[in-house]
Amino acid sequence: MAATDVEDFIQQNRALAKQVETFRGYWESEKHWNARREFLLRNISDFKLEQLDQLLSLSMVWANNVFMGCRYSSELLEKVKEMAEGIEVEDAPVFKTRDEIMKSQQGR
Amino acid sequence: MGVPAFFRWLSRKYPSIVVHCVEEKGRECNGVRVPVDTTKPNPNEVEFDNLYLDMNGIIHPCTHPEDKPAPKNEDEMMVAIFEYIDRLFTIVRPRRVLYMAIDGVAPRAKMNQQRSRRFRASKEGVELTDEKNRIREEIIQRGGYLPPEEIKERFDSNCITPGTEFMDNLAQCLRYYVTDRLSNDPGWKNVVVFLSDASVPGEGEHKIMDFIRRQRAQPNHDPNTHHCLCGADADLIMLGLATHEPNFTIIREEFKPNKPRPCALCGQMGHELKECQGVAREKKGQHDEFADTIPTAEQEFIFIRLSVLREYLSRELTMASLPFPFDFERSVDDWVFMCFFVGNDFLPHLPSLEIREGAIDRLVGIYKDVVHKTGGYLTQNGFVNLERVELIMQAVGVAEDNIFKKRKEDDENFKRRNKEKRKRMKAEQRGPAFLTTGQFAPQALGRRDRPDPVQNARQQAYNMRMHSNMDAAQSLKAMMKNGGNSSAGCSDGRGQKRKTEDSDSEPEPEDNVRLWEEGWKQRYYKTKFDVDATDDGFRKKVVQSYVEGLCWVLRYYYQGCASWKWYFPFHYAPFASDFRDIKEMFSEFEKDTKPFKPLEQLMGVFPAASGNFLPTTWRNLMVSPDSSIIDFYPDDFAIDLNGKKYAWQGVALLPFVDERRLRAALTDVYPDLTPDEVRRNSLGSDVLFLGKFHPLFDFIHELYRSETPEVSVIPAELCHGLQGILNLAEDPVLPDKPLRSPIPTLRDISHSTAINVKFKDPHFSAEFVFKAVLLPGAKIPNKVLKPEDWERRNREPWRPQLGFNPNRQQAHLDQSAFRALSHSVNRNQHGGQYSNIPPPSSYHQGIYRPQSSSHQQFQHSRQNSIMGAPPSFSHQSLFPRPQQPLRGGVQGWDRAMQGQQAAYLQNQSRGGAGPGAYQQQQQRYDQRRNEWPDRRGQHDQAFRSNRTYPPPPPTQRYHWK
Repeated sequence: MAATDVEDFIQQNRALAKQVETFRGYWESEKHWNARREFLLRNISDFKLEQLDQLLSLSMVWANNVFMGCRYSSELLEKVKEMAEGIEVEDAPVFKTRDEIMKSQQGR
Repeated sequence: MGVPAFFRWLSRKYPSIVVHCVEEKGRECNGVRVPVDTTKPNPNEVEFDNLYLDMNGIIHPCTHPEDKPAPKNEDEMMVAIFEYIDRLFTIVRPRRVLYMAIDGVAPRAKMNQQRSRRFRASKEGVELTDEKNRIREEIIQRGGYLPPEEIKERFDSNCITPGTEFMDNLAQCLRYYVTDRLSNDPGWKNVVVFLSDASVPGEGEHKIMDFIRRQRAQPNHDPNTHHCLCGADADLIMLGLATHEPNFTIIREEFKPNKPRPCALCGQMGHELKECQGVAREKKGQHDEFADTIPTAEQEFIFIRLSVLREYLSRELTMASLPFPFDFERSVDDWVFMCFFVGNDFLPHLPSLEIREGAIDRLVGIYKDVVHKTGGYLTQNGFVNLERVELIMQAVGVAEDNIFKKRKEDDENFKRRNKEKRKRMKAEQRGPAFLTTGQFAPQALGRRDRPDPVQNARQQAYNMRMHSNMDAAQSLKAMMKNGGNSSAGCSDGRGQKRKTEDSDSEPEPEDNVRLWEEGWKQRYYKTKFDVDATDDGFRKKVVQSYVEGLCWVLRYYYQGCASWKWYFPFHYAPFASDFRDIKEMFSEFEKDTKPFKPLEQLMGVFPAASGNFLPTTWRNLMVSPDSSIIDFYPDDFAIDLNGKKYAWQGVALLPFVDERRLRAALTDVYPDLTPDEVRRNSLGSDVLFLGKFHPLFDFIHELYRSETPEVSVIPAELCHGLQGILNLAEDPVLPDKPLRSPIPTLRDISHSTAINVKFKDPHFSAEFVFKAVLLPGAKIPNKVLKPEDWERRNREPWRPQLGFNPNRQQAHLDQSAFRALSHSVNRNQHGGQYSNIPPPSSYHQGIYRPQSSSHQQFQHSRQNSIMGAPPSFSHQSLFPRPQQPLRGGVQGWDRAMQGQQAAYLQNQSRGGAGPGAYQQQQQRYDQRRNEWPDRRGQHDQAFRSNRTYPPPPPTQRYHWK
């Protein structure tokens, strides 16, 4: 779903969009939020109201992985990647995790 | 605060604030330990009223010490903690109050840092275990010997967090300890003990501050109470200044660099884990009687006198011709505030302000410039005037560009010098390609055994020639042989591929921000925040959060926690130049916020790997993929080196905790808590203990007898004006009620004579503002620093004050003592140009020898130097001594060396022996020489007359008052 599609979706589902907007973290930039919002909008129909926190958590897992370099269990990562299929993130930052740094320093 | 460099900077800039502790040690007599009688006057020639212990600074070194083998189990840890407190008590000998504060649940603002520390600690622990196992394997395969693996589990230092069982046990043990000492130690007889354990919210040092602040604000407080606060954090200095109590001293362990550590594998000293060979342990002493003693000296303590720091600051901050009256107390508050820019536990520091680059001096300079324009102080009672702060920030912002360029330049210079140094070292190690031998061998000049006249020179020359020919032939043969064998064949013909020049330097971490190049701001925001430079809105958000942060931190120090909820929601700080129009950015914090419960906070700061400290269902939330808070617990996380070299220096990019989602997830598992866990999760209360001889004892005992539930006024005359609200404890320690020892190795208390009661600090309404002023009746202690106009007004040399007592008795030596001294010390004094040089500064690189041999070494090297610089001498001559640093000593390493040397020398002098005292004087002399080069002669004289300056003999200690 391209950016225009997201806009269209939001136009058509004002109430939902408004609700989703409350989930934005203070630290999230426009770019990061747009991506995560898309993640939420794409998947929100699959979750019941009481499961909403779980969806939020999964969206954070995905965003933390893409924008902050966090690693989670492969099971979890695969799941969120599946859920995020089709979301385009332009020039996502590259990170070195702690384990990678330690490994490269040990190799010396 | 998380600025290790801060104390180093402070003690180098203001050296007189440091006073070494005089410590009396308990003696052992026929296997019985005779404790020190702490009812005697304090040998430090000062009396302290209140001693406050920031317990986490004690718990950490006692549970996982760095310089000695770790305790085997929890009981040993507890005993170590008791002994540590005993030591401190013996040194400080508080006469009124002992306040022990363990970190409770911290404000949310601290959570980011706590998370980062615990996530790292957990990983480091695993790595260490892996490394140990790997090396153990290797050694055993090589047939080495290692002591059998202990069954003990690795101590996870993460358990030192409120809410864990460990902390609960600790509180129990401390309760026992206090009761025991109050009942049995005469030194504790008149002391009121407060124990604020981990169940009371707030960081330890801030609980202490709250106590002091609230006592100060009530009318019965004695304005001349002498406070002594124990802890190594640099922010204790800020907190101490913030109290505006005139008598405030901090006690901390002396930092000694490069202390030897036992190998983590075999427990022996002298090598690191990586170099462990698995050699059997050497016998210590003739019959192995020293097997368990540690060869290093016990960590010593130092006092930091804030009254002296205040003297220094008043010199530095006093400004004449201000448009408003100068108030030193207000300027101290501003100074404290500016130190926060450089670093604190709650905010990342501004990129342009590095303490090692003299950031605080720069800020003070700017402050004094700008204060004329601002028309007033930056802060008042912990409230910030943002308009004025903006002016300071803008002034820093103007310099930002140059700071970054200069930093790069210094960095390059440093690297270049290092590279040259390595090159030189290498060249020296190689030695000359050809050396004459036999009779022609080079001889040092001036040695006693002169070389004999050369005989049969022709034959000797022939031999030498043949010898070198033979060597050459042999190596040629060897080369050809190898060449034939190797399949590559020609590799030898072309010679070894030369290693690149930099092969021994470590690879540089890449730095995409390049703050020293045009466009740094854009790149910074892009790399660190992933936003475009055009995104003004986002940048403003960061600045606003930072401004809120500055207000929060200052308020935290001066008024207490303004909001338990507030935190800085970014990993990086903005630039000083971004602070524009900040006046409107902050108004007030959310009111009536509540701290987390202990177990909730554990969920917030622990990685999944430390989940064993939590109930099963709670732990599940950290690992289950279906958990609604699983995003808080990544297995691995990115570390941004942020221009630094090692992972532990970098910024850990951990996600922030969403408080609402955390609480929601926990409501489901709350019913799973056992009664004991419910108790551990509840908020506790401070507890007051005292012994039966204390004047307040009967008052409290009567409360229990009459079952009075609450008393809010303590009769002022009974307890030095201390006030608070007393509540009966549920399970009190009562006189003549036995108390079981929680530690099997320690005896039960059958007849306790102590009593305890719940204590609450005096209550003040939420709107009450604690005044940051000197109290009426407070007497400023005598000045310690040399008056600036001393030279003009006085003839005799200035005699510096070394301890607390200005009239310290000087010891005198008679003639024979002088002879003995000069025999052992001064032998080389008149020997020529090197005689005045202090011993080699680089003792920590292994060159240092005891005094006498160091002189020999000097002589020796002087002789050798003519023949061409053997390594030991070249070290002296080629690298600048710390006293004459390159470029005025801008480099951190350089300063560190000096600081270490000073600490070491002073430490030496404490023995009171001649050589030590001599060194200290020598060094002081050297410092002065730098300051007033033309006064050299006079100071030389001063130095001589002061030379014998040992601490007072113990018999004199009653005379100081």
